[in-house]
Amino acid sequence: MSEETPSAEKPAEEAPPANPLAEAFAKALPKVALETTQGAIDLLISVKPGDLHNVLSTAKRNSDLSFDFLRNLCGVDYEDEGFEVVYHLYSYAHGYNVTIKCRLGRDNPKVDTASDIWRGADWHEREARDMFGIVFEGHPNLVPLLLPDDMLDHFPLRKDNPLAPLEEWQGELLGGEIPNAGYIPPGSGFNAGGGEAKEESA
Amino acid sequence: MIEHELETIDLNINIGPQHPATHGVFRMVLTVDGEKVVEVVPHIGYMHRGAEKLSEHMDYRQAIGYQDRTEYLAQFNAEMCYVQAVEKLSGLVPPERAEYIRVILAELNRISSHFMFLGAFGTDLGVFGTAFTYAFRERENVLDLFEEVSGDRLMYAYMRPGGVAWDVPRNFKERVRWVCQQALIGANDLDRLLTDNEIFIMRTRGIGVLSIEDAIDFGATGPVLRASGLKHDLRRAEPYSIYDRFDFEIPVGRHGDSYDRYLVRLAEVRESVRIVLQAVEQMPDEGPWLPDRVPPRLRPAAGEVYMRCENPRGEYGIYLVSKGATQPYRLRIRSSSFCNLSALREMTIGHYIADAVTILGSIDIVLCEVDR
Repeated sequence: MSEETPSAEKPAEEAPPANPLAEAFAKALPKVALETTQGAIDLLISVKPGDLHNVLSTAKRNSDLSFDFLRNLCGVDYEDEGFEVVYHLYSYAHGYNVTIKCRLGRDNPKVDTASDIWRGADWHEREARDMFGIVFEGHPNLVPLLLPDDMLDHFPLRKDNPLAPLEEWQGELLGGEIPNAGYIPPGSGFNAGGGEAKEESA
Repeated sequence: MIEHELETIDLNINIGPQHPATHGVFRMVLTVDGEKVVEVVPHIGYMHRGAEKLSEHMDYRQAIGYQDRTEYLAQFNAEMCYVQAVEKLSGLVPPERAEYIRVILAELNRISSHFMFLGAFGTDLGVFGTAFTYAFRERENVLDLFEEVSGDRLMYAYMRPGGVAWDVPRNFKERVRWVCQQALIGANDLDRLLTDNEIFIMRTRGIGVLSIEDAIDFGATGPVLRASGLKHDLRRAEPYSIYDRFDFEIPVGRHGDSYDRYLVRLAEVRESVRIVLQAVEQMPDEGPWLPDRVPPRLRPAAGEVYMRCENPRGEYGIYLVSKGATQPYRLRIRSSSFCNLSALREMTIGHYIADAVTILGSIDIVLCEVDR
């Protein structure tokens, strides 16, 4: 089925355990610390924030890699472990897939923009700034895209901004006397803190 | 005699957010020089409902409904992508029959979505009524079938991790064959109405050209990319589900203009009919539609997956991060319309104001999917 990556079938006669794509990355970027693991479908590579722009631009420009298509770019909030920016790349020339991840600090998350490498990164980065407050340095126009223009200090997809208290806050804003604002019916699958809901005995 | 020096000022024209040509709530500010557009600033976000955030607070199965509401013209395709992402992490394997049901419904959904485009695109160009009614006559047949299967005309929530919610009706195969027959008739009608129509060609040929390099750079996918000339379809390049079992062509354009985008979608209707007919032929008559044991609450293994599917509008991706809980830790929807729309500026500059409407229509955006 579709479980295997297209990269796995290309140079099949090489040494089986090492991933040829991971080797190609190591060859193209000998001085950079890359941490590679195999994900459910794609190869995952973790890099440090300082190396990120170099890794991404090499991934696009190196002829052995040529990742010309930025599939997806998004932020993830790992609470105490900081934020992560995730780049899903695809190479039309070789049919390779790779996921490049970069962990950022909890306060003042900053990373270099990728919009000079792929123009498609422009809107994705604006969205990640809207939702997580990750600042992409060097971005030409980092203004809110999906959120209102003046909503610069509120990052809805952060985990410290849970859903139910937000409703409560909206209830207060609407007059404070809405009786059931923020009430979570038991067993509804919602819980204020994110994370684990209470298990039913089913 | 008084001499006046003529002064040139930038004139901004605001289109939307409530405007019939924007296919939803979308606003663009055009800066014009005479009738020519010199700058486009799109404004999105009017439909942002936080589907990603809401899904993080729900059981894995509850979040299926949000896929329908995100991609409201290709709901089965969106559901299929989401449930496959969950399956990849939870290790559920759908039975053979469920795979066929999914593929048939997803391809029929592609047909109905493309009919929606063909009708609405005619309306954008000013041939209101004619193309629209023909397209909607056929779309209605498909929606009737979906209602028989799922019980709902638009918000199906029919697929489940591991298969589908319940079995299809007994006369499913005959009904699908009939719907396919009607879809081909409808495609031929629209073909005769629009393809050689002089006005239609003059309004679309050479309008909104997107080169193949720009299309790749902006991350445009689906018919927009294929109209620019790149023969790339995820169903062929990275076959998911059981798409490797079917024989179909990938239609491509040559010029990357609005007309080619129309032609690609019209051809895709016929190719989808081919896939559906093959799938109906191969589909087992009897069999389960869910695996024997599905846990009452899904707890996929900790990990992450980026599942992508070829939707009518391009690559639809679900990036799912699980921490082993009953709710997704992070669910990111990679929207195809969002990326295709980001190339709007590139396509529109240099054309007339009236063409901006054509170009926007030819991208075939779903605003709920753009904003999520």
